[in-house]
Amino acid sequence: MLNRKRTHMFMEIEDYREDLEIRHLRTKNHFVLALLTLMMILTLIYMLVSGFLLYHTLALLIGFLIVIMFNIAQLAYGKDIYQFYQLNKYITTMGVYALSIAIIFVFQSPSAITVLFIAYAISAFYQDLKVMFINNFLLLFSALMLMVNFSEYLNFQSSNTETEFGIAFFLVAFISILTISSFIIIKQKRFYYNQIALSRETEFRSIDLLIDLEEQNHQKRIDIDSYYKKAQDFFQEFSEILKLDNPFKERMGLLYMLEKNEPVNRILDRYPHYTKEDLERMEDLLIGGKHKLRKVAMKLGHTFTSEVGKAELFSEQQFKSFNHPNDALDVKILLFAVFYAALKRGIAGLPLADKAAMRRILTSTDYYYYVDPKVIDIYEKNSEVFDEICEDILGRKAER
Amino acid sequence: MKTFFRRIQDAEFLPIGEVRKLKVILVMAFLLLITAATIPFSIYFAYPDYVTIIVLSSFVLVYGLMIALLRMNRVTASTQISIIYSIGLTLFYSQGTSSFYAYLFFYITLTIIIFYQDFLSYLSYGLLILALGIYYIISHQEGLALAVDVPGFMYIYIFTLVLFYLIFFAQILYNEKLHSDMNDDWVKMNQVIDKYHDDITTYLELLRKQAKREPLHEERVFQKLVGELAVFVAEQVKDKGKDIMNVFDLYLYVHERGIEKILENEEISVQMKRTADRLNHYLFNRRTDMYSMLINFSSRFLETEKYKPSRYEYHIQHLAQYHDEQLIAFVMIYQYLVREVCGVDAWDQMNKVLTIDEIDQLFKSPEIEAFFSPQLIALYFENRDLFISHFVSCLVEKGGTS
Repeated sequence: MLNRKRTHMFMEIEDYREDLEIRHLRTKNHFVLALLTLMMILTLIYMLVSGFLLYHTLALLIGFLIVIMFNIAQLAYGKDIYQFYQLNKYITTMGVYALSIAIIFVFQSPSAITVLFIAYAISAFYQDLKVMFINNFLLLFSALMLMVNFSEYLNFQSSNTETEFGIAFFLVAFISILTISSFIIIKQKRFYYNQIALSRETEFRSIDLLIDLEEQNHQKRIDIDSYYKKAQDFFQEFSEILKLDNPFKERMGLLYMLEKNEPVNRILDRYPHYTKEDLERMEDLLIGGKHKLRKVAMKLGHTFTSEVGKAELFSEQQFKSFNHPNDALDVKILLFAVFYAALKRGIAGLPLADKAAMRRILTSTDYYYYVDPKVIDIYEKNSEVFDEICEDILGRKAER
Repeated sequence: MKTFFRRIQDAEFLPIGEVRKLKVILVMAFLLLITAATIPFSIYFAYPDYVTIIVLSSFVLVYGLMIALLRMNRVTASTQISIIYSIGLTLFYSQGTSSFYAYLFFYITLTIIIFYQDFLSYLSYGLLILALGIYYIISHQEGLALAVDVPGFMYIYIFTLVLFYLIFFAQILYNEKLHSDMNDDWVKMNQVIDKYHDDITTYLELLRKQAKREPLHEERVFQKLVGELAVFVAEQVKDKGKDIMNVFDLYLYVHERGIEKILENEEISVQMKRTADRLNHYLFNRRTDMYSMLINFSSRFLETEKYKPSRYEYHIQHLAQYHDEQLIAFVMIYQYLVREVCGVDAWDQMNKVLTIDEIDQLFKSPEIEAFFSPQLIALYFENRDLFISHFVSCLVEKGGTS
């Protein structure tokens, strides 16, 4: 059975990508709010100038204001609880369609039907897969509803069968190309987020690996006692200069106990006004092991002297893969064989991959697309043959 | 076909170039459908028969050109031609009929241009479509109106078309800015990751030497394994597996001789030099893409801490809530910088402890904003002597940082 559903090699990417989407959602919400306001102003100006009934104008005004006020409220709440931003996407999408349909019923003109396209464009701003499905459904539903139940709105002066068929055909064609376009654009946006998230996770794991290798090679760990002793002395003198009673002493003591992996209960007994959550949070301030401060320091050392040149947007050349479009098939085949053989042979210092996990990562994660489709499909269908070749040459002991 | 739909479904994993190609194929499929529908519709258009035949034949020819360009991997050219093709279809419809569906064509063409998400194309072709659309509305009012319609209906048509254009204009502009920012971030991160991988590769080499193992590419067992795997795949893909061994020999030869010597050698063919140049990015005798990919793959099997929102956070202000905690963190990091190996030596290897001058330089660099607040940096420079006396002088006495 071939794997079909692809996922990410590093599962953490999913969480971070969601974080990234939420960060940008607020800006998108602002755009949508501005567009809604613009739509309201234009509609009202037109209705007032064209002499529509006042209660129709007021009804639409109230409709717009409800959707806009709802938006503002959700944006305010979203600052603290991000789910409000998410909710806002769905409510606004439905709200803007409700308003568009109301406009169509008030105007009773084919020209007003095109307001549905504006509703689609506004909701498409969110670039969200679920919103896209709601958006498509609402547009299709509204278009069909108008064509079937309110065909008089499309009863043109020069109407004939050709026109009726043409409208139905091209409306469906328009919705289809909008759907395809939105789907791919959303996927493309995900690609950007994926790349950022992937780089962040790669960096995180590379620092972990670097710490391991550094300790293996230098046979040296961070001298926690010395770090804390010197820091305590520094803060004592610093406090004296400021004529303060050393305010760092308590936290330093607590951090030292955390560095020494003292049991949480013992730490809380000594520092009763701290909570378990405080301790969890303060773990990010430890310098030993693979804790955060050490990572910050290592990143700082590596960021130093780094230069960023101008590069094409997510340029093909920047990607590390065995599937560069300009490479010959023979090169792609060989590189995959070298990569696979190196993983099977193992490299001293690198963590080992087991057979099942290797197969799963190569065929069911983003790694699938790092290899030429023809090559990876051969592997996917013949992974047992690959393993047998490895076992024959490396011996069963080398197989994991 | 199955593979094609799978690639659409997995478009978020594909590089930009591949997605561009997918987009062109999708647009071409859509245009084929529309062109096919145009044949029966054209019967009703107000063109003489010969004009209809000429135009439809031109569409077929241009479509053929698009296929040829796509086959030659000229994706940008195919993109441009597919847009021009859509504009041609729009003109054919809008000049041939005054029906409402011809007006829909302006939206369809705008959507095709939007699909490519190219700012300049949208600005140029999009504006052209907008102008044509407005002209169409003004000149074909009677075909777009009901017998009794709302006053100024024409303005609704115009405003919705303009607003549709503007909303997507804002979206493309926003995406362009967002993607460009993310790209900068991504390139910067990749450069830093390459540096980590440089150091990891150095350490891996040291471990290999300690274990008294041959370099991987020189091991007979490894060479045999690569050869057999490559031949097996080549036989499946191309029905002929032996040629791949020539590429493998070249791969080993690049290790042995170095790419410069191969490129200088006039007896080697251009094709072979090109292949050697590509293989040069995947060698085992230094940090290359091959090493980076092996490190990335293997790091999947490292035990790491559970995901929490601060996982990729490196700014002290975001890691520490209070000012005293931030200062403690700063002092610890400062100690790390003056005591541990975190600077590159003359051979670009991470092999030395930073000097005070280098640390000062680091704290003055723009990159530091990603780690510390300006207040912390100012505090350091105000109390620099205190820092040196506590954390550096004693090391100098022991023969550490200068």
